[in-house]
Amino acid sequence: MNPLVNELKAKIVALFKLEDVSPDQIDDNAPLFGAGLELDSIDALELVVMLERDYGIVIKDIEEGRPAFQSVRTLAEFIRARGSS
Amino acid sequence: MDKLVVAAASVVSEADARAARLGTRFGRLDLSSRLALLAVEALGVDFDALPRDRVGICLATRAGSLPTDIDYWNGRDAPGGPSPTLFAYTLPSAAIGEIAIRHRLTGPSLCLVGENTGALAEAVLLIRRGEVEACLCVECNLVTPALARMIQLPPAARACALFLQRSGDGLRALRENDRDVESLCVLLCPPKSAT
Repeated sequence: MNPLVNELKAKIVALFKLEDVSPDQIDDNAPLFGAGLELDSIDALELVVMLERDYGIVIKDIEEGRPAFQSVRTLAEFIRARGSS
Repeated sequence: MDKLVVAAASVVSEADARAARLGTRFGRLDLSSRLALLAVEALGVDFDALPRDRVGICLATRAGSLPTDIDYWNGRDAPGGPSPTLFAYTLPSAAIGEIAIRHRLTGPSLCLVGENTGALAEAVLLIRRGEVEACLCVECNLVTPALARMIQLPPAARACALFLQRSGDGLRALRENDRDVESLCVLLCPPKSAT
């Protein structure tokens, strides 16, 4: 079990107030946007704010964050690569 | 002239909105939109039986988006800035969008802010002018404690909805969520003329 991945799943459920979804129901590799969690472009901005608030990572260009926002796993790898976990 | 009827009516409270489960997105809406959306849901209208571009939405909101505006403003100093999600709801008409998205309604809409807005009369006119066949008329009365302190009004959190159409079976029986008919009266009462 990856603690950061689990932490991110819990944050996503709380941040987006996902009803009837528990953190352990989120697949590590499932797409965050479109199908599945039904996140949208506003939610992407919310993730950017969360990264700055909780991990001190500032994303100035949304293109920079795009690869990171593919799934919970890629998001965790992005945070680790920035040395914030 | 065709007979217009109130085909359905509903009233919902904050407790109803907090307990309701209307899909993954519902929890992300601001309270005003949740109340309005739930009031429409409680109407039990079968939108599949209606031409969706011929259904209007008339929203009366007592305080507009002020409750959400305050929450957004209070988040301005947070790391990363205020919530982008909240920003999307700093418009008085946001609830109209949520109702339209959920029920795929594409007819005309109207948002009226303040007390005694005459929303019901506007909904009737939309139908009488032939712009729509039916109209959702929603009144949202949300005054959060933070806003109440600011504008010297008692806190309130409820919404009511009416569904007007040219003909139908008349008003259905009130349901579990219809806790308070007082809000309906606000919607049904004509606006007071200025004196």
